[in-house]
Amino acid sequence: MAKAPKLNSQPQIVTANDLRSGDTVYLTVTGGWTRRIAEAAVVANVEAGAALLAEAEAQAKQNIVVAPYLIPVDASVTPPKPIQYREVLRAEGPSTETRPAA
Amino acid sequence: MSLLKHGRLVGEDAFQPVADDAALPASGAVLVTYARWQVEREQLTGRNAPLGILLPNNLDVLDFGAEAERFDLIVLQFPKFSDGRAYSQARLLRERFGYRGELRATGHVLQDQLWHMQRSGFDAFEIPRADAVEAFAKASRTFSHVYQPTGDGRVSVLKQRLAAHNNKNGRSQEAAE
Amino acid sequence: MYQYDEIDQTMVEERVAQFRDQVARRLTGEISEDEFKPLRLQNGLYLQLHAYMLRIAIPYGTLSSRQLRGLAQIGCTYDRGWGHFTTRQNLQYNWIKLEDAPAALADLAKVQMHAIQTSGNCIRNTTTDQFAGAAHDEIEDPRVWCEIIRQWSTFHPEFSFLPRKFKIAVTGSPNDRAAVRVHDIGLRMHKNDAGEIGFEVIVGGGLGRTPFIGKTIRDFLPKQDLLSYLEAILRVYNQFGRRDNLFKARIKILVHEIGIETMREKVEAEFAASKHGALKLPQEAIDQIAVQFAPPAFETLSGISAEYANAFRTDFEFGLWARRNTFKHKQPGYSIVTISLKKEGAPPGDASAEQMNAVADIADRYSFGEIRVTHEQNLVLPHVKHSDLPAVFKALKAWDLATPNVGLASDIIACPGLDYCALANARSIPIAQQIALRFKNWERAHDIGELKIKISGCINACGHHHVGHIGILGVDKAGEEFYQITLGGSADDQAALGDLIGPSLNTHDAVDAIDTLVETYLRLRKSSDERFLDTYRRIGIAPFKEAVYVSA
Ligand code: HEM
Ligand code: SF4
Repeated sequence: MAKAPKLNSQPQIVTANDLRSGDTVYLTVTGGWTRRIAEAAVVANVEAGAALLAEAEAQAKQNIVVAPYLIPVDASVTPPKPIQYREVLRAEGPSTETRPAA
Repeated sequence: MSLLKHGRLVGEDAFQPVADDAALPASGAVLVTYARWQVEREQLTGRNAPLGILLPNNLDVLDFGAEAERFDLIVLQFPKFSDGRAYSQARLLRERFGYRGELRATGHVLQDQLWHMQRSGFDAFEIPRADAVEAFAKASRTFSHVYQPTGDGRVSVLKQRLAAHNNKNGRSQEAAE
Repeated sequence: MYQYDEIDQTMVEERVAQFRDQVARRLTGEISEDEFKPLRLQNGLYLQLHAYMLRIAIPYGTLSSRQLRGLAQIGCTYDRGWGHFTTRQNLQYNWIKLEDAPAALADLAKVQMHAIQTSGNCIRNTTTDQFAGAAHDEIEDPRVWCEIIRQWSTFHPEFSFLPRKFKIAVTGSPNDRAAVRVHDIGLRMHKNDAGEIGFEVIVGGGLGRTPFIGKTIRDFLPKQDLLSYLEAILRVYNQFGRRDNLFKARIKILVHEIGIETMREKVEAEFAASKHGALKLPQEAIDQIAVQFAPPAFETLSGISAEYANAFRTDFEFGLWARRNTFKHKQPGYSIVTISLKKEGAPPGDASAEQMNAVADIADRYSFGEIRVTHEQNLVLPHVKHSDLPAVFKALKAWDLATPNVGLASDIIACPGLDYCALANARSIPIAQQIALRFKNWERAHDIGELKIKISGCINACGHHHVGHIGILGVDKAGEEFYQITLGGSADDQAALGDLIGPSLNTHDAVDAIDTLVETYLRLRKSSDERFLDTYRRIGIAPFKEAVYVSA
């Protein structure tokens, strides 16, 4: 399994799964959760990353999301693109999925 | 923390836990560790009071079972609810060695495991929640039938079916297991 | 087929009620994710990359048409209209919501099915030969024993929190189609010298990160002692299996560390103390279950069916399919049909709800309403009359279910891999699709003959790569998907683990390498009767290695 990266000053965002639906979600600047990576809050230093993760973990304790973690992204493109392949798949859905969501 | 016995709240635990390096009280029921039992057998059996023992959950019960009947309380541990060794220890004590005293579960004892614990022979539970009586009552109603024969007196599905079958065929009903 | 009585039905419904309550407690926050996770896992609910995944047990791979329709309906209502058949004779839905899971399980209970013990550190769904009850080479129908094991293991109070998961497989035939040597316990039915039928008990096999071929702990176990013996093994494992390290917690490690002799001593001592206890099976109890697996009302047929012979002669495609996808039945005039879920280029093991409904209809019409699921991710119609084969072929073909490739290079096993699985290193499905397309040409595929390619997306080996004639394992190399290739594995009665041919390759090179390996085999085989595996066993790894790494 891909390891969660160490905190550093790369551009990064917080992701998790929604407790009720299981959907892949990202933390936004207003502290809400979105299914669209384009709306994720991007931070680029250690303190801001830690703060973002702390916010997410508090929401995990309130049973809104499950197992939040930070992922590094390439923020020079829009929407930001995860560096790890696994996270690209989480953002875009299975590469074999030829069937639309119902 | 609530202590339940046979589903009812026990106000005060009759057994006083005694640390390995603490002196034994002059009287009253005590709970000692397996380690202490090993070195102080005589003093402990010489005390004219009920005796409880806390067994480590990696103890091979086959090495202990023959002594089980000397105790009024045996406490088995669930360091984490997912560590299920004490289920085997409990069944061996009850079913192999015929232990009939109090068998108590301690540690990470959660509502969703209480059913399995009862089935394995536990009759007392230290449950880390205030509404333990309700939780226990709910857990005890989880299933109406059991597939496995254990020592808990419930009749297994297999025996139920055989009895129904034999009744139909006019044969005598088998004794409950 | 086994039908639930009121007791079984009550148990499953009570389980649904219990889980509904657990989900409610999770959603209100009464229990934490840590406490909830093992509970949802014991009901087959995983949290994967994109959604929850629900794994349904198909006990010993047997389904009625009504159950298959139930699975299709659940796929439509709670998933995206699909189901994925797995190597464990289970079905997985990849897009389930936690909120919907209790309702999906309630619907499942209506067709006498459940997701009980499809995950978690408990005794899992027992698997067997997909041809059970139909195969010509069978000693006895193993499903009787699987059902007895299913009931005994369901909500087992002592064995619900084992050190690790526990898988049991049973074969009733000397030609092992259930891979019993790579399970925690494998049971092989056989006759002893006195002519009685009993079990060889094999313990400590497994794949995953440390693969082992299981060892025989007892040559012959009388039938009535089966449950006492299983309980003895499980009790030893529950107490002495390692709990300090997740990767060393399977029974295979215990057997390896203490040795099979010590293991046998402990188990036999436990068995001696319990064999006359409450688990001893009275013959009447065995019979009560066995009658439910009585063969269907076969017709007495003789000679060769004219329709069949005629179609074989005149319809080339039919002939190709019939040769490849049917297997000899024990009843004269009948065949076992394997329905390939491996159309080249499609995700292995996937079936749409429409396809499931179609198979259910075909089974009703031509196979006594019975369907089986294979550990190679295909479906089976167990009892088809020869004279019906042309019609069955036509009906399947209309639903893209008549690919004539069973056992061939494109009949690939692949785990969900990184497209779905939270533990994966690399994707499995796309590489399976690419490889299968290389063998789409039927002439080449049939010329190559039997070739089992098995793909896992990580070391957990859900795709059985260790026992593939060609095994492919996804690894992560500096953030890129790479694949290791092994050769010479086998899961049959001469079970063997594959040998690594060399450094891992990227996706493109790995797909090419499979082609190269096959070309090398075609060049070096003694005759067209010599299978890939036999050639490999004869000439060894060197020529293959050279072909992939030197000439590349
Ligand atoms: C998609 C989610 C899945 C997860 C998270 C998962 C997880 C695992 C893990 C952790 C192991 C290693 C166990 C060990 O070595 O102790 C394993 C083994 C295995 N799984 Fe899965 N698996 C998944 C899907 C599947 C599927 C789809 C199948 C069937 C196609 C499957 C069948 C198996 C088999 C056959 C093994 C190896 C045999 C053994 O237990 O040693 N799994 N799985
Ligand atoms: S082998 Fe690995 S990637 Fe494939 S399903 Fe199993 S755990 Fe997931």
